[in-house]
Amino acid sequence: MTGELILVLLVCLPFAGSLAATVLLRTDSRVLAARLAGGVAFAGLLLTAMLYPAVRDGGRVRFDLEWLPQLGLNVTLRMDGFAWLFAMLITGIGCLVVLYARYYMSEEDPVPRFFSFLMAFMGSMLGIVLSGNVILLSVFWELTSIFSFLLISYWHNNAAARDGARMALTITGIGGFCLLAGLLVLGYIVGSYDLDAVLAAGDVIKAHPLYLTALVLILIGALTKSAQVPFHFWLPNAMAAPTPVSAYLHSATMVKAGVFLLVRLWPALSGTYEWFVLVGIAGTCTLLLGAYFAMFQQDLKGLLAYSTISHLGLITTLLSLGSPVAAVAAIFHMMNHATFKASLFMAAGIIDHETGTRDMRRLSGLFRYLPITGTLAMVASAAMAGVPLLNGFISKEMFFAEAVETHADSMLDRMLPYIATLAGAFSVAYSLRFIHQVFFGPPPTDLPKPKPHEPPHWMRFPIEFLVLACLVVGIIPSLSIGPFLHSAVLSVLGERTPEYSLAVWHGVNTPLIMSMIALIGGAALYFVLKDYLARCDDGPPLFRHLAGQRIFERVLVTVSWKWARWLESRLGTRNLQPQLRLVAAAGLLVGVVPLYIAGFSPKAPVLGEVDPIFAVIWCVGAFCAVGAAYQAKYHRLAALVLLGGAGITTCITFVWLSAPDLAITQLVVEIVTTVLLLLGLRWLPKRSEKVDNSVTLAARSRRLRDFVLALSCGFGMFLFSYAIMKQPVPDAIASYFLEKAYTEGGGRNVVNVILVDFRGFDTMGEIAVLAIVALTVFALLRRFRPAADSIEKPEQQRIQNAYDDARPERSAGDTVRDYLLVPSVIMQWMFPVVITFSIYLFLRGHDLPGGGFAGGVTMAIAFLLQYLAGGVRWAEDRIRILPLRWMGFGLLTAAATGMGAWLLGYPFLTTHSQYIELPFIGKVPAASALLFDLGVFSLVVGATVLILIALAHQSVRSHRVRNPEAPKAEEA
Amino acid sequence: MSGWQQHLIIAPIIIPLVAGALLLFFDERERVLKAMISAVSCLALAAVAFSLFRLAATDGFEGVYLLGNWPAPFGIVLVVDRLSALMLVLASILAIPTLVYALARWHAAGAHFHSLFQFLLMGLNGAFLTGDLFNLFVFFEVMLAASYGLLMHGSGPMRVKAGLHYIAVNLAAALCFLIGVSAIYGSAGTLNMADLAVRIGEIEGERRMLLEAGAGILGVVFLIKAGMWPLNFWLPGAYSAATAPVAGIFAIMSKVGIYVILRLSLLVFGQGASAGLGLNVLLYGGMATIAFGTIGVLASQALGRLASYSVLVSSGTLLAVLGLNNGVVTAGALFYMVSSTLTIAAFFLLIELVERGQDAGASVLAVTMEAYGDADEEDEEVEVGVTMPGTIAVLGICFAACGILLSGLPPLSGFVAKFAMLSGMIGTNVSAEGPIPASVWWIVGLLILSGLAALISMTRAGIRTFWASMEGTVPRVLVMEMAPVMLLIALTMALTIQAGPAMRYMEETVRSLQQPAAYIDAVVNARRAGIAEPGGPDGGGGI
Amino acid sequence: MEFVLSLGIGIMTGSGVWLILRPRTYQVIIGLSLLSYAVNLFIFGVGGVKSNAAPLLEEGVPISSMTDPVPHALVLTAIVIGFATTALFLVVLLAARGLTGTDHVDGREQPK
Repeated sequence: MTGELILVLLVCLPFAGSLAATVLLRTDSRVLAARLAGGVAFAGLLLTAMLYPAVRDGGRVRFDLEWLPQLGLNVTLRMDGFAWLFAMLITGIGCLVVLYARYYMSEEDPVPRFFSFLMAFMGSMLGIVLSGNVILLSVFWELTSIFSFLLISYWHNNAAARDGARMALTITGIGGFCLLAGLLVLGYIVGSYDLDAVLAAGDVIKAHPLYLTALVLILIGALTKSAQVPFHFWLPNAMAAPTPVSAYLHSATMVKAGVFLLVRLWPALSGTYEWFVLVGIAGTCTLLLGAYFAMFQQDLKGLLAYSTISHLGLITTLLSLGSPVAAVAAIFHMMNHATFKASLFMAAGIIDHETGTRDMRRLSGLFRYLPITGTLAMVASAAMAGVPLLNGFISKEMFFAEAVETHADSMLDRMLPYIATLAGAFSVAYSLRFIHQVFFGPPPTDLPKPKPHEPPHWMRFPIEFLVLACLVVGIIPSLSIGPFLHSAVLSVLGERTPEYSLAVWHGVNTPLIMSMIALIGGAALYFVLKDYLARCDDGPPLFRHLAGQRIFERVLVTVSWKWARWLESRLGTRNLQPQLRLVAAAGLLVGVVPLYIAGFSPKAPVLGEVDPIFAVIWCVGAFCAVGAAYQAKYHRLAALVLLGGAGITTCITFVWLSAPDLAITQLVVEIVTTVLLLLGLRWLPKRSEKVDNSVTLAARSRRLRDFVLALSCGFGMFLFSYAIMKQPVPDAIASYFLEKAYTEGGGRNVVNVILVDFRGFDTMGEIAVLAIVALTVFALLRRFRPAADSIEKPEQQRIQNAYDDARPERSAGDTVRDYLLVPSVIMQWMFPVVITFSIYLFLRGHDLPGGGFAGGVTMAIAFLLQYLAGGVRWAEDRIRILPLRWMGFGLLTAAATGMGAWLLGYPFLTTHSQYIELPFIGKVPAASALLFDLGVFSLVVGATVLILIALAHQSVRSHRVRNPEAPKAEEA
Repeated sequence: MSGWQQHLIIAPIIIPLVAGALLLFFDERERVLKAMISAVSCLALAAVAFSLFRLAATDGFEGVYLLGNWPAPFGIVLVVDRLSALMLVLASILAIPTLVYALARWHAAGAHFHSLFQFLLMGLNGAFLTGDLFNLFVFFEVMLAASYGLLMHGSGPMRVKAGLHYIAVNLAAALCFLIGVSAIYGSAGTLNMADLAVRIGEIEGERRMLLEAGAGILGVVFLIKAGMWPLNFWLPGAYSAATAPVAGIFAIMSKVGIYVILRLSLLVFGQGASAGLGLNVLLYGGMATIAFGTIGVLASQALGRLASYSVLVSSGTLLAVLGLNNGVVTAGALFYMVSSTLTIAAFFLLIELVERGQDAGASVLAVTMEAYGDADEEDEEVEVGVTMPGTIAVLGICFAACGILLSGLPPLSGFVAKFAMLSGMIGTNVSAEGPIPASVWWIVGLLILSGLAALISMTRAGIRTFWASMEGTVPRVLVMEMAPVMLLIALTMALTIQAGPAMRYMEETVRSLQQPAAYIDAVVNARRAGIAEPGGPDGGGGI
Repeated sequence: MEFVLSLGIGIMTGSGVWLILRPRTYQVIIGLSLLSYAVNLFIFGVGGVKSNAAPLLEEGVPISSMTDPVPHALVLTAIVIGFATTALFLVVLLAARGLTGTDHVDGREQPK
């Protein structure tokens, strides 16, 4: 099996397993899921092991697959010694954790979900260590955040788990985004996202002006992931996760991703003063604070979590120093920490499992119940404390050795030895406490589960294995981990690989003394604090009350909720008027600004050319417009009449200025619109000036503003139209139409020819609009409910009916009929006349003013008249019209006419025209355009009638009670 | 021009028109039949769109259609190029799942759903295809009129109120549109976009001024459609009030404005005095929109509003990025547009299912129930398909997918899109020399923040919906409601895997947009059917 | 001519804008109608204003004397669409009035 194939399998296998677990397994198949996960992890371990020969002494395996080549994002997998070591760690500890979890998880839990997440996480983690493209790396980076979220919140009915998970995701998510940005900048500097290219370009990067930007962004990513101060607080909260998760993600693997990245990019980024300061401060603070906090935890897992933070701080500090030996120590300590910390978490899990609590104040003297687990825990925590003959000791010695060296000479550097020793003492103290308080002392009194006992052997096996590893590495380092570590170091440092010796005994030197001081001091510290610790509340004395996560939560809520809502209400609106105001203002702005820039100044008009009659007409028109604006609130009918006046003025203007077609159309539309509005008036609420004339100052100012806006819009429009009218249109296409209208369009009425031929497609869309609107109106009115106060019949009608009721010989409605007798008769007689007229308008359209639309509306008016004359019932008894059919027919006819041209091999809507003789009417253009116009006609009739009827019908069904449901308030 | 290929160009407009008209002949009760017609039309549309897509991708394809066989600029022309083909495909892809979703329940909530749906598609396709400014107005109106109807489909106070605002704003916009178009006609003497691009060079003095004024007013209209702050307050109300399938198809409506801006800005106003000004408006307006959308995403509790604000974020992103006027980034933006449209549609469809178990959704349903329970209503809720097994799990996975997509996390297409844009701004693909300008850093920051905001509020909402509250109540969800959501998400996955080819198409598209000469040439010299020399003096359109 | 016409357009626009900024739906619809008149006249005016020059082809009438027919066609389309949308808006405002019980544009009375 080739190396490339192995790499691909290594990454894909876990995801495949995860998918299988989700899809195939039933929620109760616990053992099967565990076996699957274990198998996957073990297979991964074997595959990784198989690659060792290839990566030994500096070799590397590489797999390339194009994904987004033009942007330099490819699926590049790349394994070298360092990645190999990590892959071994991930898969190896993976196996142990799965084995442990198989016993740890309880009957109720939906285990397949757990294992599928776990496997997916394993895959993402392997992806991080194996990706040879920095963008791909950030892809897997985010994936680990997502799966850690899902794993922490595995018991999602527990609020702590939910919050912990969300916090972890938010913090690491922020980090991930910053990391991506940083890596992009890195790519910008280097000119490639390929890891090898990036590593090769170290000097270019450090010299580049954007180095600091990239560095800071990447560091935010790494430090958040590795829970470094000040981003550390998510880790303790993540302890709400099931213990296997804590052991795997939050001690062995995921939290290592941050430091992994620092090591990975160490050759490219490290060695500068910025690096030393930023990384160093973060590292030392974390090292010290973590250890200090750890001493005062009462929760077993809390203690371990803070100790993890502190150890990660140690690694970071080592990396900050920028010396090769320090890097070696860092890599070495990653491995050691993973082994002993994972085993400790599992031990804590067993204790929790057996006793039902993790609170050290309640635990004591468990050694008599759990002798083996106890022993193992002791060895592991000894390693954590850095006791000789254990792996923790060796890497810590190397750390001390580095601490005393001077690197970038500075305050921080000079303080380092003391900080290191102090932190060492702390770690001794909390390790001691972990053992002493849990396993020694009097037998426990108030355990939730009395009578704890040793767990099944296979549950303990992972711990045994790891502890054994601690011992082996601790006693014969150079024989056990030596070669593997070397190949890892080689792959990171290349030719800068230093001389270093993994030995237990280097003779009596400063580091040894420091260790001794740390051991003794730590022990002393613990026995001084013992009694206090046995009683005190959770958390260190000084910092107990500034809990990171509470601050975080509060900030998050304030920023992402309170402020956001406030801003939303300030920057946005849910009311209509401001929006229209903005639209008007924007239109005014962009319309007038160019005029202003160009310094436009209209030429004063010569009074001679103003036709007095026209001017008078327009005085009336203007009066109507303003009057309508003034009356619309209180006197709707008056406003409607005035609106009509304005419409008539428009109409006359069209006539005057040689646009007969427009005039006709405008007129018929005017009529229909007015009727519609009249029909609508009845449903609007009564409003009289007496009721609401309480005009506040605010209202006045609002009106003033609107008035100014309206005035300026009017003025702007005036200027604009004056300017444009004075500007003769460049004759680009107009004359073409005039020339071809008859010769090619076959019609004398150029406008109509344009409508049905040159630009027939517009007309097609326009009738579609009409149809759509009619349908919408119909659909809406089907659900129409009159407001409560407009249900009863109008006042006048009531009076008349009352009068009728008073007379025995009259029945209700007679008076109305009497009043309307004459008009209704006339209207009924007019029916045929109007119909004929409409058909006439339609037919002559192609040559003279008229056409399908005008004709259609006219016919609709004819029907409308019948409604007005006889009332809805009467009309519908006599004329049965199916508007929908008319509309459908119209649309289809128009479309079919257009498609007819296809048969002759011409594009849509190509026309064909000739004249035919019709009796009585005379010569009629029988252009195929006429057929098209017939479609228009039919649709217009249908749509208009549908709208009118739908509206007219409401008066018939107005008695229907409006359902009491109050208008819903907008949701908060 | 000859052969079926040419006539294929107009099919995307004719098919829905005919389908919509046919639907009018059948009574509301014949639901199955109506559904059939609608579905067939959508499938046909998809087929046509895809074949046009493939044609447009081949070089030397003259995608110009002279309506009525009149030569440009006198008649109306339809033009298919890579961009319009892309939009056609996107629209037709979106139509199918939304329609299927509607068939499960919603199409029965009111009258004439299918006709309106078809007409909406007709309007969309027309707007994408037309090469004539006034015809563009007409198709905008077709699209909008249908959208009014669909928005208020199912009636109820919330929808009608939202509809009132939506219509009022859009009518004002339509009036501006008319002013703008006629001003352009008055100053340039033409309505054909390509012809305008030719003439715009030699327009000076007062004409130029009027032209710019007209163009500016048009720009305002398109920015309203695209939802640029502060002209976008109508959008959250309207989108969150609409029924799920309608909101789903609306996901592409805000993109129409973007499309037109992209088209005109590069074709007509690519150069000249007013170009720079416009770009700045796009840039800063877009940034403001991202910020506002981000704030809204954080501030909204109801999922519907959250989704609507995500629409704003996506519009803002596109506008700002277009404002940069940088080829590489624009290609990324096109990819982002496709991805985010699919995402938002999926999310809108999902929301209604998720909330069905809860008050918010229940109230929306209640509105329609009240409509059903009407005295003279025959329609009752029809059950189609069978209820999903393992509903919660599937819903949860889909919700997570939407969250990942919205916040631009890997591995779905949201990440690829964001990366593609960022890489062109601060990554290896930065084309411009010299230091990266501040505005770019601002956009990068806003993009990251918006992603973060989406992450925060999606986790918040998800936890509240699935873990805190939905313990007991399992919403009744039909397979044919779930399938569309999954299909859309699957599409984003496909987009992720096929990122390479997809991006290549986008890059080609941008390249062709940046050299409008070919487009103009194709339109101006388009040959008429049955006539030897184009636009000959004696050449007759008739036979 | 132009002066009077454009003045008229300006006045109509002003009244229309004022009305669409008012809180009552009826005012808004009247405003929209006024605005559409103004806009139609504007489009129409773009083509230049001439008397007795209707674009109706007859023997002996020189084409050059006729007005530009294109704006007329545009206005016709605009009128139709304007009519349709006005009708729609009317029905919507009636429905809103029915469902919300008020004729305020926001569906609820604003606190004064």
